[in-house]
Amino acid sequence: MIRLAIATLRRHRGAYVGTFLATVLAVALLAGGGLLLYSVLIAEPPADRFAATTLAVAGDREISLETVTTKQKKEGKSKVKRKVKSERLTGAGTLPADLAGRIAAVPGVAGVVADAAFPVQVTARDGRALRGADDAPVIGHGWVSATLTPYTMRTGRPPGTGEVVLDADVAARGGVRVGDELRVTTRTGTRTLRVSGIAAPAGRDGLPAQGALFLADGDVAAVSGLAGPTAVGVFGAPGTDVAALRARVHAVAGDAQVLAGDDRVRADLPGALPDYIGPISIFGFVIGITAFAAVFVLTGTVTLSVRQRLRELALLRAIGATPGQLRRLLGVESAVLAGFAALPAAPLGVLFAEVVAARFMTLGAVPAQFTVRVNVPVLLLAAVAGVLVTFVAARIAGRRAVRIAPTQALVETATAPASGTFVRALVALVTAAGAVGVLSFVPLDGPLGMGMSFVSSALLLCAVAAVGPLLVRLLAAVVARPFGLGGLIARTEHRRVAAVAVPLVLMFAINTVMLLNSALLSRLTGQEQVAREAPATAQVTGDGGLPLDTARRLADVPGVTGVAAQLPTRVIVAQGGKPEDYPAQGLLVGGPDTALDLDVRAGALTADGFAASAALVRQYGWRIGDRVPLWLPDGKQVQLRLSMVYGRARGFGELVLPAGLVAAHDPRGLVRTVGLRYAPGTAERIHAEFPALRLVPALDAAPAGDASNQQGAWELMVVISLGFTAIAVVNTFAIAAAARRREYADLRLVGATARQLQRLAGGEALVTVIVGLLLGSAVTGIVVGAFSAAQDGVLRWIVEPGTHAVMVGGVAALGLLAGVLPTRLMVRRRSLATQV
Amino acid sequence: MAVELFDVTKTYSGGAGVRALDGVSVGFAAGTFNAVMGPSGSGKSTLLQCAAGLDRPDSGKVLLAGQEIGQLREPQLTQARRRLVGFVFQSYNLLDSLSLWHNVLLPQRLAGVRPDRAWAREVMRRVGLAGREQDRPAQLSGGQRQRVALARALAARPEVIFADEPTGALDLATGREVLDLLREAVADLGTTIVMVTHGPAAAARADRVVFLADGRITTELAAPSAEQVAAQMTAVTNGRAVASVGSNR
Repeated sequence: MIRLAIATLRRHRGAYVGTFLATVLAVALLAGGGLLLYSVLIAEPPADRFAATTLAVAGDREISLETVTTKQKKEGKSKVKRKVKSERLTGAGTLPADLAGRIAAVPGVAGVVADAAFPVQVTARDGRALRGADDAPVIGHGWVSATLTPYTMRTGRPPGTGEVVLDADVAARGGVRVGDELRVTTRTGTRTLRVSGIAAPAGRDGLPAQGALFLADGDVAAVSGLAGPTAVGVFGAPGTDVAALRARVHAVAGDAQVLAGDDRVRADLPGALPDYIGPISIFGFVIGITAFAAVFVLTGTVTLSVRQRLRELALLRAIGATPGQLRRLLGVESAVLAGFAALPAAPLGVLFAEVVAARFMTLGAVPAQFTVRVNVPVLLLAAVAGVLVTFVAARIAGRRAVRIAPTQALVETATAPASGTFVRALVALVTAAGAVGVLSFVPLDGPLGMGMSFVSSALLLCAVAAVGPLLVRLLAAVVARPFGLGGLIARTEHRRVAAVAVPLVLMFAINTVMLLNSALLSRLTGQEQVAREAPATAQVTGDGGLPLDTARRLADVPGVTGVAAQLPTRVIVAQGGKPEDYPAQGLLVGGPDTALDLDVRAGALTADGFAASAALVRQYGWRIGDRVPLWLPDGKQVQLRLSMVYGRARGFGELVLPAGLVAAHDPRGLVRTVGLRYAPGTAERIHAEFPALRLVPALDAAPAGDASNQQGAWELMVVISLGFTAIAVVNTFAIAAAARRREYADLRLVGATARQLQRLAGGEALVTVIVGLLLGSAVTGIVVGAFSAAQDGVLRWIVEPGTHAVMVGGVAALGLLAGVLPTRLMVRRRSLATQV
Repeated sequence: MAVELFDVTKTYSGGAGVRALDGVSVGFAAGTFNAVMGPSGSGKSTLLQCAAGLDRPDSGKVLLAGQEIGQLREPQLTQARRRLVGFVFQSYNLLDSLSLWHNVLLPQRLAGVRPDRAWAREVMRRVGLAGREQDRPAQLSGGQRQRVALARALAARPEVIFADEPTGALDLATGREVLDLLREAVADLGTTIVMVTHGPAAAARADRVVFLADGRITTELAAPSAEQVAAQMTAVTNGRAVASVGSNR
């Protein structure tokens, strides 16, 4: 069987080019997406600041909740099920101040270092902010922490009170020399400190992904605002057994984790390590989209190519092949083909992963330290998936085709037995119902909105593909009338039109939905931000943020009548045993006038309560006055009373907490922006008193950085899927055109000129494009309409007329080009006599 | 003369460089039924393709209804062909995606002339397919399909109908019906027919039979009987130096 399959493949090389190409691309996309997801999942922090220690002791860097469910089984037995769900913290909690002393007393411990790590905002004299390599944050420590890595002095001396030591990398980037003065801002305030020396880890200028600034140990508590060390580094005496030492340290460490080996890095401040949470969801989405498009396109292409071989299959039936043998032949053939396609696809996938990762890093959606790891099992898995999809598609397509009667081989044209209309309708009904279910029951204005709108368009596309031939027959009957002979052929060849129109529908619907929904979101985000900040006369910002105290002093400037300071943070909410992390704001308001309009729906802000967005309140079923447990970035749990529900959460946060609470428990704890309302003339007074601050009139305030990052990531994903679906469209058109050689030859014989053939092909392409756009617009309209209605109750179909028009025009142009060009080449190349 | 060839030569490149036509000069008078016979590989189909303007000779002249078609370039060649010529092939060459009616009217639609519907209906009646206009080719038997192909050729009122093994795929009785229809077209409509065939019985229906061997015209018979044709064929085939190995497709 396999020899026969390979022989057929070799003989029909031309006919398989289309399927081969589609398989190569599909496997490459799967491989690339898989590599990206794999790389981001196994991404390790690039450097270990605790390299010199034997053990590192630290508090939990995640919130874990255990739910215990007891299932009653028959015979009186019960089954206890434990489920632990956790969510990572963005900050680090502190350890008891006396822990280091207790550990030092453990036998076998030669030394301990109480380590403090906290983000610092460092500004050089000329006002430039200092950053590490790849824009890495600068983390502050006491000088004692230098031995953990260790950092050693290059020039100068260790810091005394009011002095700092910088790592050589940050110093070189900022052009800082010993003796220079730096402004250091933390949540406790801004200080001017003198550089006493430059230090570096052995063999390099600094650690990747984090810069280091060392303070005198006596200054740490005041500058950081930390109540204790964030970690304790333990040095074992020479010759001590690490495992035994770990057990002994564990005994005195209480709840704290004792980490050894590669795990020690987890004792570091989470903010000092590259964050791979966002990239995981981004790359998860990338592989979701590419996998769907790849499978969708591959199935269509394989089905089309099998159908085009009906005559040959009938011939094989006539000379004695059983339907089973033909099915096997088709299956083996496609598996061999996909196997060969995987060879060029694997390196292509690696290239794809590299290019996409580079683009995402430029956008800032993925940390600059990210590297794509080539993993052979992932590549193999992609290849296997490609083989499996082509195999299954060929078997399904063959299932119908091989039932063809052997006598059909002797007849001039073979036609597949009429497809199971019932099965098709059933599949379409189920998938369409699924889409309707997703659209009506999942809250599309929540964090799942974008993902779910993609899922529902994918389901609708499956429905369209299933009933494609039926839909196309109806639509083409209407659409094709004005297109003469081409339209006439298109109407009767509705299956061919459907096969080619479906990739067009895919291309249009999936990309338009993503573009329009993300455009809608970013527009709404912008609008909400403008509406939120409308009451403020100006927004005040400083380099990288300002201490809360500065915001309080701003409120006291004469002439200021209202102030609203925002401290961005993350808060974890747990419900049903599942901790979930949300963007939140610490909010400080003051003055008789309001400077921030959150669109309050119920209640009012209180000094010790919290506020939540209407979407979150609906999701969790809270009511005003409920006491809700919340976790702050350092792992501190608080019980707060819900005092207010607000509407304008986009680009702001789902929760609002008292600013003081956030400043105390978020390691950064800096105010991003302060909305001010003031009488004329006050601006000059603020400039005089706070020369380092920037005052921006409320209307000019830039939108939040996160939103534009996300928008960029979406656009990149659309580019990827546009590219792939465009290739799929061209490929399908080419396959379909190649199969029409005979039809063209017959037409030429009865007197059609080359130009008439091209016009004919153009007519059919036009019908195909119109049908594709109509179906695509239906899918897009349903999903975008539901998404839009869920956001703010306004039903929109054409969110951005420009984007929409470009998509319609682009898809139409591509479809027409792809429909006309292959015919043009074919008609021109072949001399007439050989066509007979 | 409806069709005239002067010293036409055609060589197919590739392999040994087969000379399919070697200086053929022949004319087919208007309103006559002509048959071209010869063993496989003798150049019958090439002669037909060159005469019909489907292929270009390497040298020599071809006149269709007095017009030299060697000078014409596409798309003028196609336009001349569809004005002057109709085709009937062994493999029918109907468009499966069109109904019989649309198939029959297709050449006129392609020519951009208003189809003569009354005449097309008359032609369908003559070939015995009246009332089946809306059927698809796939629903017909081979003989019926060939009659549709003939109807399509006749509907455009061509000067010449070229037929390449029109009965090759048909049984004797059905083939005889198709030949009757061809004869009728010559008698009633004054059409010229040039038919390539293997069958002595088919050739015997013609007014004139031209024999071809190795790309040259060897003999011709006027209104022969089937026995005469068969005898001549045997002579032509045996007269060849080597056994025929080629195929005429």
